[in-house]
Amino acid sequence: MPLAKFANLDFDQIKEQIKQYLKANSNFTDFDFEGSNFSVLIDVLAYNTYINSYNTNMVANEGFIDSATLRENVVSLARNIGYVPRSKRAAKATVSFIVDVSRASTPPLTLTLQEGIVAVSESFSGTNFIFSIPEKVTTAVVDGIAYFDNIEIYEGTFIKKAFTFDATTPENRFVLPNGNIDTSTLRVFVKDYQDSSFGRKYNHVETIINMTATSEVFLLQEIEDEKYELLFGDGIFGRALETGNVVEATYIITSGKAGNGVNNFTFSGRLRDNSDRVVTSGVGAITVNGRALGGDDIESVESIRKYAPRNYAAQNRCVTANDYAAIIPELFPETDSVSVYGGEDLDPPQYGKVFISIKPKNGNYISNFLKSEIQRKLKGYAVAGIIPTITDLKYLYIEADVSVYFDVSKAAGSSTSKSNVMAAIERYSDSAELNKFAGRFKFSRFLAAIDNSDPAVTSSYALIRMRRNLRPVTNAPADYEICFGNAIRVNNDVGYNVRSTAFKVSGVDGWCYFGDVPGQGAIDDDDQTEAVGRMVLFTLKSANEAQVVRDDIGTIDYERGEIKINPIIVSSTYISDQQPIIEFDAIPQSNDVVGKQDLYTLFDTEASEITMVPDRISSGEDAAASYFTPISSYHRNDQIVRGSVLVTTSSADTYIGFVNGKPYYGPYHTMPDGTIMTGAKHSDTAQVITKSKVAAAAPAVTNTPQQRVVQRDASVTLTTTVNRSDDNVSSTSNTTTTTATTTSTTSSGTSSGGGGGY
Amino acid sequence: MPARISRGFKDISLSFRRHPVTNDLVVLKDESAIAKSVRNIVGTAFGEKPFDLNFGSPVAKILFEPFDPRIAASYSASIREVVQRNEPRVNVLNVFVEARPDSNALTIVIDYEIIGLSVPPQQVTYIAKSVR
Repeated sequence: MPLAKFANLDFDQIKEQIKQYLKANSNFTDFDFEGSNFSVLIDVLAYNTYINSYNTNMVANEGFIDSATLRENVVSLARNIGYVPRSKRAAKATVSFIVDVSRASTPPLTLTLQEGIVAVSESFSGTNFIFSIPEKVTTAVVDGIAYFDNIEIYEGTFIKKAFTFDATTPENRFVLPNGNIDTSTLRVFVKDYQDSSFGRKYNHVETIINMTATSEVFLLQEIEDEKYELLFGDGIFGRALETGNVVEATYIITSGKAGNGVNNFTFSGRLRDNSDRVVTSGVGAITVNGRALGGDDIESVESIRKYAPRNYAAQNRCVTANDYAAIIPELFPETDSVSVYGGEDLDPPQYGKVFISIKPKNGNYISNFLKSEIQRKLKGYAVAGIIPTITDLKYLYIEADVSVYFDVSKAAGSSTSKSNVMAAIERYSDSAELNKFAGRFKFSRFLAAIDNSDPAVTSSYALIRMRRNLRPVTNAPADYEICFGNAIRVNNDVGYNVRSTAFKVSGVDGWCYFGDVPGQGAIDDDDQTEAVGRMVLFTLKSANEAQVVRDDIGTIDYERGEIKINPIIVSSTYISDQQPIIEFDAIPQSNDVVGKQDLYTLFDTEASEITMVPDRISSGEDAAASYFTPISSYHRNDQIVRGSVLVTTSSADTYIGFVNGKPYYGPYHTMPDGTIMTGAKHSDTAQVITKSKVAAAAPAVTNTPQQRVVQRDASVTLTTTVNRSDDNVSSTSNTTTTTATTTSTTSSGTSSGGGGGY
Repeated sequence: MPARISRGFKDISLSFRRHPVTNDLVVLKDESAIAKSVRNIVGTAFGEKPFDLNFGSPVAKILFEPFDPRIAASYSASIREVVQRNEPRVNVLNVFVEARPDSNALTIVIDYEIIGLSVPPQQVTYIAKSVR
């Protein structure tokens, strides 16, 4: 009798195979009828086969880390290659507060903040979070005041668990009974006996390297239900426990991600002085030095599957770029994405260096403190002589001006279609094609996503721009290089193909912008565009009229998408996102934009625009297309600067008043009493500007409800009217409209000798 | 529509008794095989058959529901529909549902003719009794 091959896991297909077998091998005929007795037997057989196949398949799948689906199996397989998955991480906030104990009858010498709860947050997303510390913090009392400065508090509840070791028990396990543990807060003490007041601290280690018979260490492993088990030494690798020893473990159980962002706290901690007296009064308000950040969920199965083999391949050593990429997420659990490349790949090469860019899960940049921490930890893994350098992530932003034709007869309203289009763009911007190193913006996919977003959409087109943000070093000379990594389209032969936001430069009055002038290089044979050009610095005389204040301050290579700025002192920038930023944008030569090397591509939905255009041909209102005007597929040169247009009002041809009887056209500033004086800033040499040829005691320009004195750094709509009393003619100067606040920033310290695009 | 001609039906008996003469399993043939099939359909509750939620009849549910002639007619139609759907060898002529409240039971009588077999119309009587 031939054997049927049951290759399927589908019940119906198995059943069909049994029927096929019976058709050839049985005298019975009724197996085709679902109500028959034979059908009952076939059901039983098929079900049995199905369950067996399923179980066999599951067993086989769960035996390999690539195909296992159950977390405890993946964790177990990862354990075999020495990988301990990351636990949940509590959000950490940094706070300070003082305790006034000057009124105590006997002022204490020190105060100790006990381990456990320290503060409770105000309602955040509808929850009051508890923040705790894993260890005591002691501080000295100075002049009756105890200063608790920069205390790191962890979101979560402090837990203490004790185990008594008994060597006669066959199986001693030290399983921490709680889920959601942040293992970085785990502290383990071992006491010789129950009532002993002295416990030795055991340290957590991840390998048995350098472990001796007396090492007071423990290993940690994740077991079922996302719980953790402590493993102690056996007397050969690590000190062995003895009967009667008491193991005390303290840890914090946390809500993970949910605690990120909390920044208001009320003190709820326990304080004791050096005489072990409880202190309950004199606690000042909590100052938040850093809001809660860094909370994260337990490492996902996908992440374990990805990093465990890499970690094993890296063997706890950083040799290749992949080794760094595998180890960095362990050192910095907030890592979202890592890009590593050797200095030899750079132009010019920098041998002996490894460059690492890290995209954190929260925010766009990691702090300088974290950078140095990661660098310090990496030294334990890196090959001697290789210097790991952590660079800020370089984001290549993509923006689009999208025009969407929609059939008015099918749309409930343009707003409904627009919201669907926006949702589609949001989905595309979150897709895996972007948001990564070597990400590629695919123009056709982008348009397809828009076209399929709503039944009313008939067609669409988008004008693409790319943007880099430059984080300049303020008030210090620095040269800069901004790489787009994509060829820049020369849209305008006159210039201004690259636009920037406003900033101030030392020695130049008013707001400056960068611009380009093509033509200083060879003509590109292929498309007849200028291959290179020079960069200029200009101010605005009017919205679209530039006045170049410094020519030839750098070069631009349109082919390579590279801008180099000669040393310049940027004093402040117009855009500020906690960092001084100058935005550069340009039109790419190709609508497909690629994030090359260390560029991390992001689609900026906020900077993109959507215009809904009624398609009256499709709706039948204009069936003959008599009034249809297609949207232009080319960028217009309608604005030479990016962002707000800040016109410099005190240009040399704008009349201000009289100085020493002569008309004055230069920069000026306004004193608190209303007096207008020469120069953009006040100095000893500044002279009073009067409204008449003869100096008067009254201020030259007075404030009235209609006349508002210019304060050029103010975030208001400014209209300046200068009355010329000598000829009784009133003239209105240029109007400057601003919406943001100017920031004067200090040097970030990231690139004092020279900066780069970020 | 041309008359269908059956090749004869042969089914196994779930009693698994031994045939006294052939010593083989008892075999159900033709109308008795079909009658058993109809009884199986009526006696199977929805969801009982693996991976086939639509196979079965509502009899098990009816047993515990209030009963009056109007509801009986509704159940008759329902049983008729499931038999007709799951047993293509028969043409259901009539379904009669009668409550027997004294014995907590229902009597279901199904009249049908077999398609393709030259046999007289058949009748299956199914008594469903509540045991709890």
